[in-house]
Amino acid sequence: MPVPKISRRQFLQGCSAAIASMAGARLTNLAFAKQDNPSDTLVVVFLRGGWDALNVVPPLQGDDRGFYEKARPDIKISDLLTLNDQFGLHPALAPLHELYQAGKMGVVHAVGLDHDTRSHFDAQEYIELGTPGSKNTTSGWITRHLQETGVSSILPVVSTAGQPTSLLNFVPTVNVNSPSDFSQWGNDLLASQQTALRQMYQGESLLHRAGARTLDALNIVSPLVNQEYQPSNGAFYNDDELGQQLKTIARMIKLEAGLRVAAVDFGGWDTHEYETDGNGGYIGDLLGQLASGLSNFYLDLDSGYTDRLSVVVISEFGRRLVQNESYGTDHGHGSVMLALGGNVNGGQVYGKWPGLNNDQLYDHADLAVTTDYRQILSELLSTRLGNSNIESVFPGFSGNYDPLGLFR
Amino acid sequence: MAFQQRTKFTRRDFLKLGGSLATASLLAACQPNAETPVPTSPVSSSGDVSLPEPSISLPPVPLAVLALGRMSFGIRPGDIEAFNALGGNDDERLRAYVQQQLNPDSIDDSDFESRYNAAGFQALHKSHEQLYSEHIANNAYDPNDDAYWEWYSLPTYELVDATLLRAVHSKKQLAEMLADFWHNHFNIFFWQDDGVPLLVSYNRDVLRKHMLGNFRQMLEAVATHPSMLYYLNQNNSSDAGPNENFARELFELHTLGAENYLGVRDPNTVEKDANGVSVGYVDNDVYEAARCLTGWRIDDDLGEWEDGIEKTGNFIFYKPWHDRFNKLVLGKYIPADQPDMQDGKDVLDLLAYHPGTARHIARKLCRRFISDLPSDSVVAAAAATFTEFRDAPDQLKRVMETILLSDEFKQSWGQKIKRPFEACISIMRALNSDFTRIPGGVAWMLSLMGQPLFERRSPDGYPDVKEAWANSMSLLYRWNFAVGIAENWLNDDDTGLKIQTDVYNQTPPEIRTAEALADFWINRILGRPLSDADRNAVIAVMAQEYGTQESLPDDHVGYVLPAMIEVILMSPDFQWK
Repeated sequence: MPVPKISRRQFLQGCSAAIASMAGARLTNLAFAKQDNPSDTLVVVFLRGGWDALNVVPPLQGDDRGFYEKARPDIKISDLLTLNDQFGLHPALAPLHELYQAGKMGVVHAVGLDHDTRSHFDAQEYIELGTPGSKNTTSGWITRHLQETGVSSILPVVSTAGQPTSLLNFVPTVNVNSPSDFSQWGNDLLASQQTALRQMYQGESLLHRAGARTLDALNIVSPLVNQEYQPSNGAFYNDDELGQQLKTIARMIKLEAGLRVAAVDFGGWDTHEYETDGNGGYIGDLLGQLASGLSNFYLDLDSGYTDRLSVVVISEFGRRLVQNESYGTDHGHGSVMLALGGNVNGGQVYGKWPGLNNDQLYDHADLAVTTDYRQILSELLSTRLGNSNIESVFPGFSGNYDPLGLFR
Repeated sequence: MAFQQRTKFTRRDFLKLGGSLATASLLAACQPNAETPVPTSPVSSSGDVSLPEPSISLPPVPLAVLALGRMSFGIRPGDIEAFNALGGNDDERLRAYVQQQLNPDSIDDSDFESRYNAAGFQALHKSHEQLYSEHIANNAYDPNDDAYWEWYSLPTYELVDATLLRAVHSKKQLAEMLADFWHNHFNIFFWQDDGVPLLVSYNRDVLRKHMLGNFRQMLEAVATHPSMLYYLNQNNSSDAGPNENFARELFELHTLGAENYLGVRDPNTVEKDANGVSVGYVDNDVYEAARCLTGWRIDDDLGEWEDGIEKTGNFIFYKPWHDRFNKLVLGKYIPADQPDMQDGKDVLDLLAYHPGTARHIARKLCRRFISDLPSDSVVAAAAATFTEFRDAPDQLKRVMETILLSDEFKQSWGQKIKRPFEACISIMRALNSDFTRIPGGVAWMLSLMGQPLFERRSPDGYPDVKEAWANSMSLLYRWNFAVGIAENWLNDDDTGLKIQTDVYNQTPPEIRTAEALADFWINRILGRPLSDADRNAVIAVMAQEYGTQESLPDDHVGYVLPAMIEVILMSPDFQWK
């Protein structure tokens, strides 16, 4: 597939106006006011390692079920939760199946990159930069979206995932694992130390801007530190990485401090060996964590926030159809994306199914990609995030934009 | 072989433990997870790359500050004076310092050695076979008992402690920087499923043994070490079912780098160089190399019913698993039925001697020791040394010499910021913190900053560009670490482990005004002045309600001095390198 090329010049021109508009975003007014947030809060959950889409949403019946079972005699998943007459959901995802049935979650199959790579690092970068085929892009796709729409809130972006590439060069990102972690140590001289730090972190370098942003964020988050958090609707967050990240984000959303984007990482999906044990085992455990985390997050926010919430779950690629000799699967191509939110047209499986017959596979080995991941994100941008300038976020892609109808 | 026969424990077994071992997954979430893109095109000029960061120009610093900032984990009291005594001018001093540091065996390291001997490490002296036998194969405890896992993980916890001790107290600073570089280059995640205790021998017998030696030899040592074979699934790779994971990272990370990856393509269409070797690699090369490497495995209990398996935990070439037929790698024909291991060695030769590998390794070293975006000229110079001395026993030492004595090394201050590991160590060095066995809080804080030692999950190693580290959590915990050290808040009452820092007694008693105290500590920590505005900010912290030139009472100095010093350690100036 041809890869659209953009010149660096075009790229920088596109960004410059937005960068200028951001110059005023260095907030000194830390009043705890309700911020005007014109669009949904976007939560991106990135499953690092390449999740095994064919074991997450396996074929339910017919020829493709036959190809699937033949290719995966030891690691096939059975007792699926029915999605439609063609596909089922891994039984460990039962809590998400409920959201699917309630119309709050949609599934996109055979989705991914229009670029040939089976490298984790290339694929993650291409996806997060939003420029498949080009790794020299100097900002992430979310960065360009926020530059395009402008940012005016105190707490526009929270990442529990360090600084993911999708937010490359978006300095206002605040990295928070949990509110109690995000506090500055000191004694009664702390205020005078902070005055000195304010002076020292004036400046335009990446480091200076990060320091000033840290001081701003401390002012917002520190009041939460000693508060016990009570999730709504009886939601319960597991004490695992994902649960704790999602709990933090729920708290940040409820602050109503204008959170626009939250980035979450959930790793461990590189299942080269001993992937399953019946319907349980390694990947069953991971999926169980994912389902528990997301369903409780949704339940917690189903207290007046889900109409302004869009969650997407994405991984860098799927895995090979045929199991390997280590009872795992090697790097593949087509994958599955999930979307959750109050304005998702849920309860459906989207995307054109390419089939699992050998000549239907990518490179005679992997599920083919029939939907570019940028279709879903572009639709999200224009439908839910108030950004109709898709070209500014995914340069060279807007001509191919053809929404699936996943979002209202 | 069925699943049920697998006797090995998994990562999840660790996670079940909680308690003493709970750091396994602790906050891995705050690690930057994707490698931040860096320009990798071998033909681009540095002028092609412009980060959105406005170009900032920092005032030049004394060469001693620059050299110690890049070749060591930070300036200790006395380091600048010692550097300046090495010669009559900057060039002489730099040459002498580089020579000294590139010959670590010549350095008197008795202070470190006495601390190391006092630290009471139980497992670090053990041979690879002992580690395997005593901590894996014959662990005497019940696997349902925490003691089993404590014994299992003890060697690697000791390695973490010893690495922190070395970084702070050893005078062989460049060696420590290189050990850190090469671990990240040939990265292994500490808590990989199998073989955790073997990280000790990997660090000692592979990385440290070869890091100033020969790359080709190092590469083979890596490719035959059980830690790597476990980590990248090479241990399961057989002719019947080759596992491509190790082969792929061998190309993409260890040697040629992604910059030389040409994607999923017909290998016949790839251009060849004068020696008939492909200029870059495609997926087919990865698969063919994986076939070449089948049978490179560990003599463990994976298949105890097989002949010739003794469970020593050593590397073996297991012929029954080797794919004996001919292969084609990077355009080179590898005939069938070669002698044992020859197919794999041919692959390592092709990769280690490829010009793309020379550039990739040179660029990474230049990025580590010079700048996030080193110029193509210095990369080319280092790559030329790498290639010219490809068979020399001191190839990598010569490459380091080329880099450290380059003009660009001397002319590029402030184009990097310290990574969290360096930031923490440099705080302890700056304040002369005293410890033998470091309290666990230090490693915990490194986790919060996103760089727990040996815990990068993915094989690419921690990112080495400032974009990955100029974030709130990473910065906030540097600040908190400065407080934790200066206020002695990191002592561990449960274990009795202490890290003691006494800034009051390191301050001459005749210095008592806020201005003089600020100037003394700014110079002591940074080796250079701060801007007037920043200096005034430091003075204001010290003075509080007193005048800046007023003589301060001792109790005020005792209480406020740590807070002032913390501010210097929190400053942007302390983060540049």
